[in-house]
Amino acid sequence: MIAAIYRRISALLLLLVVIGTTQICWAHAILKDSTPAPHSTVKGPDFDVTLRYNVRIDGTRSRVLLMSPDGQAAALKLGSQPSPDTLQAHATGLKPGAYKLQWKVLASDGHMSSGEIRFTVN
Amino acid sequence: MLLKLVDLFSFLSVVLRAGTLVFQSVLLGGMIFVLWVARNSPAAAPDSIARIQASSWRMLRLSAVGLAIFQLLYLYVNSAVLMTSAEIGFDGVIGANFFVSGGIVLTAALMTAVVASGNKNIAKYTLPVLAVVVMGASVMTNHAASRIDGRPVLIALSCIHELATGFWIGGLPFLVLGLFRARDITTQWYLTERFSRMALVCVAFLVLSGTIMSVLYIGSWSAVIGTAYGVMVGAKATMLGALLVLGGVNFLLLRSTTKENALPRLRRLIEAEVGIGITVILTAASLTSQPPAVDQLNETVTLPQIYHRFKPAVPRLTYEYVAEAAAPSSGAEATGGASAAQNPPVYNVDGVPLTTRLINNSIESESNHHWMGLVVLAMGLLALLARTGRAPWAEYWPLLLIGIAIFIFLQADTECWPVGWKSFGACWADPEVFQHRMAALVCVGFAIFELRVRQRKRDGGGMALVFPLMCAIGGAVLLTHSHAITNVKENLLVELSHVPMGIIAVFAGWARWLELRLPEKDRAIPSWIWPLCFVLIGAGLLNYREM
Repeated sequence: MIAAIYRRISALLLLLVVIGTTQICWAHAILKDSTPAPHSTVKGPDFDVTLRYNVRIDGTRSRVLLMSPDGQAAALKLGSQPSPDTLQAHATGLKPGAYKLQWKVLASDGHMSSGEIRFTVN
Repeated sequence: MLLKLVDLFSFLSVVLRAGTLVFQSVLLGGMIFVLWVARNSPAAAPDSIARIQASSWRMLRLSAVGLAIFQLLYLYVNSAVLMTSAEIGFDGVIGANFFVSGGIVLTAALMTAVVASGNKNIAKYTLPVLAVVVMGASVMTNHAASRIDGRPVLIALSCIHELATGFWIGGLPFLVLGLFRARDITTQWYLTERFSRMALVCVAFLVLSGTIMSVLYIGSWSAVIGTAYGVMVGAKATMLGALLVLGGVNFLLLRSTTKENALPRLRRLIEAEVGIGITVILTAASLTSQPPAVDQLNETVTLPQIYHRFKPAVPRLTYEYVAEAAAPSSGAEATGGASAAQNPPVYNVDGVPLTTRLINNSIESESNHHWMGLVVLAMGLLALLARTGRAPWAEYWPLLLIGIAIFIFLQADTECWPVGWKSFGACWADPEVFQHRMAALVCVGFAIFELRVRQRKRDGGGMALVFPLMCAIGGAVLLTHSHAITNVKENLLVELSHVPMGIIAVFAGWARWLELRLPEKDRAIPSWIWPLCFVLIGAGLLNYREM
């Protein structure tokens, strides 16, 4: 009886250790190059957006949002991928100001990654 | 709320991925075991082999079902993450690479369970095909398949590496089971010899493919210690080294002593191999979830930066915080403020001055680590003293675990009773406080367990195995902890201190396990190893630095 209780308590303690100490590890596609580059200034109102990563990206399941200076978000329509690691889009009608590109991509290894690029349009 | 849900699911997806890898390895190991290792032979007793085969087929079915369950949960969780993050419907998820690959693995695992339950003559021909299918689908979602350059070579190397891991490490639980089920020494000997031969070939392929992939994914010597990927590969290699030492001892035992002498020791050594082997697979799962070092060349920490952080210094045992600055200094924007004007400035690894808040956080964290280090060092030294047999009172070293519990209770949440202004009851609502209190409770629990084990002397029954398992699991958790993409260099420096402690904790756990499980006359070496590991962990904690 006591042995059985001990076994149960042992299992509970082990479970507590695992739950209490387990931490998160994330996977990431890394942005290698981009147009516009972070903190750069581009000439508006229209320009091409190119994002190149360290791994193959699933373009059909990835999203790029353009955040305008007034906080409005608009999804950019992604064009066909020039290479498996690159996403392309075209931004139009941008007024001068500070913008953000927010990207969420699905790498071919199944991991989602996200990031943002701040830039200015003049 | 939504972000928290995505975070939770992303975390679950990593845990499930690790579980999938473990079950996949056991599945592959089971296949080679039933098809090649545990075959009928004049050198083995037919009834023993029949018993071994029956239990191995059963375990193979269980591992197939386990893989299917983990894969199904992984698919569900990863799909939920993708649907929420990319704001797409389930139909948009179906064609994703991970979904296709996971679907194939799931189907193949279920088919393996069915095949392993049916006619064994048919299974002989279908299992190798299913093994190839599982391997192929699994490789579809690893680093190799997502690379741009050198993809075919990397995929081939990954296949060899995963197959060799599965056959060897995944086969070990079947060997443990087989040795338990074989009641005669002749069959146990036959089984071990055959497995040993197969393992030798696997190790050769594993090391060769692993070395080539390490060169291709790490790219430089500086990245071996200067990137998280390199450090984790180093951790994997160190544990592989330990496995090879254990395997080497097994190999020598098989060839240098009598069956009667060798087998009791072999069985226990193989148990430790299983534990360390699974930790290696979990480390590999952690490795697959971070970018290779060659992709993070700009984030490599240099040797002088590592030396600067880890050069021995007097431990910080006081909580002397820095006074708040009157105004922020220039260049401190990235860290959110400025260091106090009246104190010398403190910089992070990139030379950016730290804010007062960050400095004080680091002071608190370092002091906490150093106090813990002191306690763990004392535990190790007392355990060593107890091992000499000249200080029976030192056997009470587990009482120090209660000291850790009190320390966590008082110091981890300084805003709570009895040192803070919040009441004891009100603090339970905070998840972090809850976690800390659970940790304190676990420490008290283990102190009582281990003390009772010591009162009953060495063996202590199954209860005695809880503490070594806790050490080994704790070490494994340290090895699979977070790998951040932001603040990469600072996180790497933290990792550089935690990973060696994780490895040592794994070794401590399995050394203590061996001390408890090996025949009495063979316990000398492991009984010295684990207290020494505690001393090393204590020393590591005492030299922990965040700035």
